[in-house]
Amino acid sequence: MSHHLFLLSPSDTPLYSLTHFSSKPAQTTTTSPLASNLPSWSTSAFAGTLTALSGATSATQAYHAQGGTVRMGGGQDRHVIQMIANASLDVIEEIVRKDNLMYLKSVDKFNEWTVSAFVTPGNMKFVLLHEARNDDGIKSFFHEVWELYVKTMLNPFHTAHTPIRSPVFDARVRASAKKHL
Amino acid sequence: MHAAPHPRFSVLSTSAAQSSEHLSPAASSTRFSLPSAPSINTTATASKPAAPRQTIYDRPLNKTRTAEVSAAAFAFLFSEVVQYTQKRVSGINDLERRLNTLGYRVGMRVLELMAHRNEAAAKAPRREIRFLPALMSIHTQVWRAVFGKPADAIEKSVENADEYMIIDNDPPITRNISVPRDMSQLSCSSFTAGIVEAVLDGLGFPARVTAHNTPTDQLPNRTTILIKLEKSVLDREEALKT
Repeated sequence: MSHHLFLLSPSDTPLYSLTHFSSKPAQTTTTSPLASNLPSWSTSAFAGTLTALSGATSATQAYHAQGGTVRMGGGQDRHVIQMIANASLDVIEEIVRKDNLMYLKSVDKFNEWTVSAFVTPGNMKFVLLHEARNDDGIKSFFHEVWELYVKTMLNPFHTAHTPIRSPVFDARVRASAKKHL
Repeated sequence: MHAAPHPRFSVLSTSAAQSSEHLSPAASSTRFSLPSAPSINTTATASKPAAPRQTIYDRPLNKTRTAEVSAAAFAFLFSEVVQYTQKRVSGINDLERRLNTLGYRVGMRVLELMAHRNEAAAKAPRREIRFLPALMSIHTQVWRAVFGKPADAIEKSVENADEYMIIDNDPPITRNISVPRDMSQLSCSSFTAGIVEAVLDGLGFPARVTAHNTPTDQLPNRTTILIKLEKSVLDREEALKT
């Protein structure tokens, strides 16, 4: 089961992206029509099998071990993920105008993917693609990413709305994803 | 001295280790000894685990909430900012525009930090989406976060529906600035205007914000921050009303 996070500036430029393979077993095993077109490793069914076979912790290692497959499949899959994230921006924009909540849960759905978003007061958008419902975990995850983002902003050497390249930021977001997703 | 075995060590920590060696009496006795002696010292210092460097991500955001900045230090810094800018511009308009840009950079950060401090503990954090509450929060909260006190008044223009004014009777950042007579148009509060513009922009109310001197007999420093909203903002407010 994987999660995809994108941080987007107010002008919808991607500033940071993260792909996280969760070690938690997937709850849903339903396959959608599109899933048959995708490489089998990207569907939640396969992740569930892997986890069941090899135990929770080694599932992530298995992904890294077959690096060649992941890279090839990732290349094919990547643009679909980006397209889903981009398509959801229209919906987010519409909600943001009327609703004053920062955490927008399940704003959009596309086959097995659900899109949740978080909008900061400065109109930065955090978009997360996920497969299973996990409202509380995603909310805590967004809160931590928000705090990290605010700290990045406070760095006087960081220019706003430019890609975030800090390795510490990356490590902290990964740790947070591991904890909550 | 040998090259440091770990190139990742920061320059600061290795040089600090070296200088402390030189200062200590034990090290000074070995300074003129055989060349092998310093290399022993190097391995001794290298085996010590280096303290991980503190980054901005390690510092809590709320710790400095009530911390205050010395007004004298700020006045000095701001006067340098104005002088630096003045050397690089051709006229008063240009100077005000540059100060506005500098303020804009501050305003973006103020908005995110202030919102995080106010809302992070809330169950469902919210943003401002209506203009008047946003203006009120600038008047009280942004002013309190930046200057330590709320602004003195908000006014709405009678002639133009898209103009609003925030009035400060004695803005702290220009308290120690006396503008020469031939530049009487200049208001250094353009910096504040930049902050306001960034906050409004971030919240999704694009506007042009300028600062003007509006002195009265009792209040010679009185300054008006004039907000001229873009038409899209008024249209949106109209749409949200129904």
